[in-house]
Amino acid sequence: MNPRSLRFRLTAWHAAVLAGVFIALGTVLYLQLGSELSRVVLSTQERRARQIGETLIAKVGSEGEAYVTRTIPILYAPEQANRFIRVLRPDGSTLYRSGPPTEQNFDPSLVPPPPAGAADASTRRERLPDGHSLLIAEIRVRTDHGNYRVEVGTSGEPVDALLRRLALLLAVGVPVIVVAASAGGFILVSGALRPVAQISARAEAISQHNLSERLPVRRTGDELERLADALNRMITRLDEAFQHSKRFVADASHELRTPLTVLRAELEQLQAEPSTSPALADRLGSLLEETVRLGKIVERLFALSRLDAGEAQAESVGFDLGALAAGTADQMRLLAEDRQIELSVSTEPVVVRGDRARIKQVVVNLLDNAIKYTADAGKVEIRAFVQTPWAILEVSDTGIGISAEALPHIFERFYRADPARSQGPEGAGLGLAIVESICTAHGGQVEAHSTPGRGSRFRVQLPLAS
Amino acid sequence: MRVLLVEDERKVAEAISRGLRAERYAVDVSATGDEGWAMASTYDYDLIILDLMLPGLPGTEVLRRIRRRNARVPILVLTALDATPSKVENFEAGADDYLTKPFAFAELLVRIKALLRRGPVNQNSLVRVADLEIDRLTQQVRRGGKRIELTPKEYALLEYLASQPGRVFSRSMIVEHVWDQSFEGLTNIVDVYVRHLREKIEADPETKLIRTVRGVGYSLSDEDRS
Repeated sequence: MNPRSLRFRLTAWHAAVLAGVFIALGTVLYLQLGSELSRVVLSTQERRARQIGETLIAKVGSEGEAYVTRTIPILYAPEQANRFIRVLRPDGSTLYRSGPPTEQNFDPSLVPPPPAGAADASTRRERLPDGHSLLIAEIRVRTDHGNYRVEVGTSGEPVDALLRRLALLLAVGVPVIVVAASAGGFILVSGALRPVAQISARAEAISQHNLSERLPVRRTGDELERLADALNRMITRLDEAFQHSKRFVADASHELRTPLTVLRAELEQLQAEPSTSPALADRLGSLLEETVRLGKIVERLFALSRLDAGEAQAESVGFDLGALAAGTADQMRLLAEDRQIELSVSTEPVVVRGDRARIKQVVVNLLDNAIKYTADAGKVEIRAFVQTPWAILEVSDTGIGISAEALPHIFERFYRADPARSQGPEGAGLGLAIVESICTAHGGQVEAHSTPGRGSRFRVQLPLAS
Repeated sequence: MRVLLVEDERKVAEAISRGLRAERYAVDVSATGDEGWAMASTYDYDLIILDLMLPGLPGTEVLRRIRRRNARVPILVLTALDATPSKVENFEAGADDYLTKPFAFAELLVRIKALLRRGPVNQNSLVRVADLEIDRLTQQVRRGGKRIELTPKEYALLEYLASQPGRVFSRSMIVEHVWDQSFEGLTNIVDVYVRHLREKIEADPETKLIRTVRGVGYSLSDEDRS
């Protein structure tokens, strides 16, 4: 999953906010509930302590201390009620202390004496050395003999257990809720963004060869519909501009053919006239050469415009690219030998599908280029091999190379890497553009690598025939 | 030989008809499809040259009608459209040959000659130009009785030039016959092979045999014009 994708980010934010809210809520709930429960328990203990003070301690003067120690177990049964009750005399000695409770096993004798203080009533939580905790309320009862202190307490365990259960519930529940909500959010966001994915996948697939296609638009009236509509209108404008330029090239090259035919026929006949002097024939020949060259440029422009129009696969057959490359190289061998260039061929069987004549054009153009720009006694190598899922055709040379500034432009129409490269009667700057158009039309691509002064390497990738 | 030329571009029609007349053909020219059809159905022509982009009746329709009426007359189609589907369509409609504008006039002549003769231009197995002998059966070449070794491509080139001695062959004609269209116009391949061929057959040059016609191409003949 891409952490920068919109749906991941939306979901992450959503989850973070949700987790923060739940953690804050849980913390407040936990603390609030803990103190509230303690308060309720302590106020009950305090009420008991006051009861003991008002009904029993107040009578110490008339009934004697034994009355207190006798009556408390009868009235309050602290052992059965799991309660801790202690009465201290004004001098601090213990008048009464309840025994160990029947159910909860804290030991009342371990409860330390209450802190000295002036307050009439106080509460505290006492942690015993055996680990038990007690919630204790203490009051002072004024008598003629001094201040008696009455302590009533109960185990803090039920409150603690409740808080532990709450904490457990929160610790387990919050993550579960956050994860569930995030997953739900992720699905929702994905659903909402699916049209975006579809739009971008389709937009990706639209190239100059299928500009008539449009993006899918869902009539939902939302922002995505507006986006898709806007993109579609842009593609329409692109399509129109592209069609226009294509038509222009096709029309122009067509219109140029008629005058070129006339020029060529007239010049050829003039040159063949017996009355034409050799000097004039030579000049007419020069005109003819230029006419022929112009014709070639027109022809190649027309070929390019047809490739643009997607006519590349007029015929589509499976054939061996390796054999084609080797055969073509053989047919051009003398061109290399003529300049003492070593032409080496290493191919393996590589089956591709497409228009054989056009792929051959690619081989011819690349080899011609390589031989043309390699100094005498240099080397040109052509290789064809499989690199699944591609068929690779590589033509490398030890020629003059292509400068880094020129390299990105060499497949552009009429681009001239440098004036020196335009020598030769046929150099119209269209050969590599044609190579690229043919490769693209076959679902492949071509790239060029070069070190100026050391040589160039052209690499063609075509899909293997399945 | 009577030829009908159906071509609406006046200047193209003039250039072609003048060139054909110089080669002693009788040429009728018509500028529209309807007129072309009318003439083709009235007179007996030995050959019809038909442009496809015509005002009035379209060229393809003219082609179809002529073919329906006369199955034997050779028809050579001229057009500026060289897309493959159109080529196939026209051969199906009955065209015998096809030439895309602009073309070398020499090529038009060669094709016309081939159509009129209906077969290889020179069917002798032994071709002789000056003291050069080409045996088409054994593919052996001798000059002045001395055997000359040629590579297959050099032989194919020589045999093509020798098919009509004296005729000028354009580079694109040579490329198309000896190699194939993929090589057209991209290289000086013809010049290089011709140079090597010359080195072999004119090694002891009493007579130059291969003549360069600037701007057009090459021809094989014993008359040294240049």
